[in-house]
Amino acid sequence: MFKRLLVAAFVCCALMAQANAADQCYATRGMHVTLFGGVDDPDVLVWDSRDRLIAYGAGSMDTRQFLLPHAMLNAPGTRATVESCIANVVHSKFRTDPGDAIGVLITSGRYRGRYGWVSSSDIRGNGIPEAQEPW
Amino acid sequence: MRLPRLPRPVLRGAGTLTATAILAFALIIAVTGAVITRKAINVSFAEQTRIERAQLTLERMLKIQLDEENYVRAYVITRDPSEIDSYRATGAQFVGERNTLLQILQQERLTDALGALEDYDMAHTDWHQQVADQMLRRPGRGVRELEKRGKTLIDSQSDAARFIEERLDAKNREVLASTQAQIDSTLYQRMVWLILFALAAILLNGWRSRLTTELEDERLTTQTLQRAFQSEHAPLPNCRIGSAYGAASSHLAVGGDVFDVHQLSDRLGLIIIADVSGKGVDAAVLTAFIKFTIRGIALRRRDPGFILQEFNRAFPRTVENPYLFVSMFVGILDTWTLRLDYASAGHDIAFMRRGNEVEQLAVTGPVLGVMEEPFDVKTLYLDDGDLIVLSTDGLTESRDLDGNLLDAAGAMQWIAEESSDPVNLAPRLIERARERSHTMRDDIAVLAIAVQRATAVSTTTRTETGSAEESAPAVADV
Repeated sequence: MFKRLLVAAFVCCALMAQANAADQCYATRGMHVTLFGGVDDPDVLVWDSRDRLIAYGAGSMDTRQFLLPHAMLNAPGTRATVESCIANVVHSKFRTDPGDAIGVLITSGRYRGRYGWVSSSDIRGNGIPEAQEPW
Repeated sequence: MRLPRLPRPVLRGAGTLTATAILAFALIIAVTGAVITRKAINVSFAEQTRIERAQLTLERMLKIQLDEENYVRAYVITRDPSEIDSYRATGAQFVGERNTLLQILQQERLTDALGALEDYDMAHTDWHQQVADQMLRRPGRGVRELEKRGKTLIDSQSDAARFIEERLDAKNREVLASTQAQIDSTLYQRMVWLILFALAAILLNGWRSRLTTELEDERLTTQTLQRAFQSEHAPLPNCRIGSAYGAASSHLAVGGDVFDVHQLSDRLGLIIIADVSGKGVDAAVLTAFIKFTIRGIALRRRDPGFILQEFNRAFPRTVENPYLFVSMFVGILDTWTLRLDYASAGHDIAFMRRGNEVEQLAVTGPVLGVMEEPFDVKTLYLDDGDLIVLSTDGLTESRDLDGNLLDAAGAMQWIAEESSDPVNLAPRLIERARERSHTMRDDIAVLAIAVQRATAVSTTTRTETGSAEESAPAVADV
């Protein structure tokens, strides 16, 4: 009985944590967004898996080069629809604030109809604040 | 009678020294604080300038990167070789900017930003080698893959650049906060010091005011005592007497000068002039003591030597101050025969003028209060019109503007030059001393006595009626 209660409590906690994480995402499922990178290079890389997106964010240059075959380079302005969002999981070597991993369905451009993962700093849309780009 | 020695002048001197020291210290604190603050602000400004320069340099590096990308893209599209030239020229600027930024980051000891700059530089070099050079060498081939690779390298540069920028911003804020804290700290310290100094100055000023008031009260008291006890002379038969007293400048304490002419009998007169060492109430009170003690002794025995000897015996027992001594001239004048018996305890400012000749009267013993010794008595037989001039050392020690003392010789010259009327002579001597010194540093007492031989009738009459003691005053006892 105690074991069941313990498992139930753990599941509740996990769900609550998940709910909290989801709550912190600005992008919500079904939201229409536009892909746009930084001013330095507005193209956007869309990754075929969430793990590669996270690995790319945290990785060295070599790692990034290694991961490249798994990315789709989208022109700025490519439209997409948000399918899912996981908050604060994309860490960068030089960034203190982590970004969200956003699952999108690309709805225009060369990769239209493809699913992928993109960092929250690379999307624009209603209700989504612009990534703070100093340049 | 114990006369305490007042330490006020010493205290006043110490107070002045303390006040000066406090003001000097306050000045040093103020100047040092200002210098430190100025230095801190200068250092801060220099550091801020460096940081701003680093930020601008970073901005230029990013712009160079964008320009290079644009030139490469333009060449891929247009195949215009001038784009390559522009690309290379722009790339050459990057090294200079990178070195500038590297130097500043090293100066600021931003080690993590240095690491980011290294990554930035590496990504930039890789972009040149792996992307730009490839695209320029074979334009149009594998563009998509190259662009993807370029994207990752530029992302790396952007991340590193953003990190450097954040570190520079943080450093800038840190410098500003540090400078502000240092200025505040210096300001508060100076405020506290100034408040302390102000309080100390107020207290010191009050203390000095009280001391000054006490000193002034003491001076007034002393002057009152002097007026009450000293500097008077009774008329003597066959004598014309003049006297004058010149007080020292007002900021100095009064001295202990005293003279007295007292008629002991019909024909005998007591003449005293004395100078007590020291100044202030002690000396002023002693003048009264001298005057009445000498009168008392003279009433017992009219012998100047005995008078001085008796006084010398009583003086240290009464005063009990080993630092006080008295120079004194005591004379017994027979106004009928014009015989003057005198004794001088270290008082050499005594002169006799006969016609235009002035003679200094000899000292017959040491100053009083030093040792017990008998005093010789000297006798002068005065003529009609002879003048005895007695003074205190304020006269002979008056200095001219060059600091030269008048001395006894100068005093004798003045006496010879001035009128033989003692009533005019005494104030003239003081007037001349004042003119010579401008600021009189010591009191001067002058007593001048001109003798006139009595008419034959009166002399004879008095001689006949006079007692035995009065005919021989120097050895007579009461």
